[in-house]
Amino acid sequence: MNMNNMSVSVAKRRGLKFYLDIYRKILIQDLKSKMSYRADFVISNIGMIVSNLVGFVTFYILFQNFPSINGWTMYEMLFLYGFSLVALTPVQCFFDNNWNLRYAVKTGDFIKYCFRPINIFFYYISEVFDVKGLGQLCFGVGTLVYAWSHLAIPVTAATVMQTLLFLFAASLFMIAIMNFAAATCFWIQNSGYIMVIMFRFKDFAKYPASIFNSFFRIIFTFVIPIAFIAYYPSLVVLRPNEIPLLSWLSPLIGLLFFYLSYRFWLLGARKYDGTGS
Amino acid sequence: MNIKKYLALTRLGMMEKLHYRLGTFVTLFGNLIYLVLIYFLWKAIYASSGSDVVNGMTLNDTLVYLVLATALFNFLEVFLVWDMSREIQSGAIVLKLLKPMNFRSYSFWSYIGENVMSFFLTFLPTFIIINILTNGSIALSFNLLFFVVSVIMALVINFSIDMICATICLYTESTWGLNMVKECIVLLLSGASIPLAFFPEVLRKIVQYLPFRCIYDTPLSVLLQKPGYTFGTGLISTLALQLAWCIALTAIGCAFWSLSLKKITVNGG
Repeated sequence: MNMNNMSVSVAKRRGLKFYLDIYRKILIQDLKSKMSYRADFVISNIGMIVSNLVGFVTFYILFQNFPSINGWTMYEMLFLYGFSLVALTPVQCFFDNNWNLRYAVKTGDFIKYCFRPINIFFYYISEVFDVKGLGQLCFGVGTLVYAWSHLAIPVTAATVMQTLLFLFAASLFMIAIMNFAAATCFWIQNSGYIMVIMFRFKDFAKYPASIFNSFFRIIFTFVIPIAFIAYYPSLVVLRPNEIPLLSWLSPLIGLLFFYLSYRFWLLGARKYDGTGS
Repeated sequence: MNIKKYLALTRLGMMEKLHYRLGTFVTLFGNLIYLVLIYFLWKAIYASSGSDVVNGMTLNDTLVYLVLATALFNFLEVFLVWDMSREIQSGAIVLKLLKPMNFRSYSFWSYIGENVMSFFLTFLPTFIIINILTNGSIALSFNLLFFVVSVIMALVINFSIDMICATICLYTESTWGLNMVKECIVLLLSGASIPLAFFPEVLRKIVQYLPFRCIYDTPLSVLLQKPGYTFGTGLISTLALQLAWCIALTAIGCAFWSLSLKKITVNGG
């Protein structure tokens, strides 16, 4: 009876609160070390904002020449762009350590994560918080609000809630893609180029998937689900009269996809047996 | 002059590039996917515009231009800023500074080797394929000669801009952001992401005189024999402008570098 109680309380402590608490502690340590490079923080964020600004200018120049693209007006495209920027923030901020995974695995540093009594994926990912993502977040929110105000989408509790929910769903897809790409390094040595290619796919997210022919649309929907980063989820808010089923399903597909990538990552981690040094 | 030592460096750069063949093929594959995006995007853009010619460019012209720009980008790309920041962090830069050769020319001639290799591995195949696909829409005469001249100057300008950025990094000790800014500005203002013909009038007039367009727009326009870039209609003045930027940026880069050399703080080594 007593034993039973104890194990229950241990299990309880390992709940969400336990992990949030640990995350907070690791995050503070990480930020402290980042703050010692204050100039880098500022310049990185400026870089992020300039790169997004250039994307903005590109749209502006395009729409000076063409009234619409595939039936999408400039503000609708900007909405899509802002949406994709915000949806790509979590993967940038919280999951950036995936980029270091291949080095950790190759040098053998990864073994240290195997000996902690907490979830290995959680511990590895929580170690780095990338501040660059904050500049992107600000810019994305700004673009989204700007486009929203020009599109005459009503600002109701329903539309705002929908936007937030589908932003969350959309962010899961890029996280999952990068988890898959990073975890390949457990099997293929130095598989950084897979991540680079996958990361480049995010550039496709800011365009409506309807511009592709059916072959590539199927690829970008079901094989490399880039169309879910902005196109399908934002249709819910942008075109409320013609929402495809895939848009409604995107939160579920996102969760499923994230879960699969998580299992794949853990599968690789479990297979890992160090470098022997 | 003793050109032999430079050519030795160039040969080394070429061999180094060949060593990382896999990386080159992956880059090619990535490009291929990127071209899919460019193709569908501009097809949709032209389909919605309702007319076949926009700003004097047909869909075909635009695609050829952008595909070659992407190929040119891969061919000219140097990772000077990255390499230098890594060498400063590890201290390896000391070894290069101690060499009985100017650091700037040392880097330049080794990168040239990589550029020559990627010219044959990426640009040339792309050029041939696109010319076959468009039934020989690109003329093969004297423009090739001028293109080579123009591309060499583009290479020097690109290297100089990278060198200046790398020098700024000595002061900021932050690479990622600065490199990002440089890359985005160069890509936009050089016409690599949208052909300059689409720019609004005022912006185009300004961009016309900036060095960035000399990297992608000038060589491509010469190659594609755009009006104003053929012999007798302004080719000479365009190349002269390019040459002027070449000299100016090299001079600025050299002066800035030798001024900043004292600033380098190497942690260990």
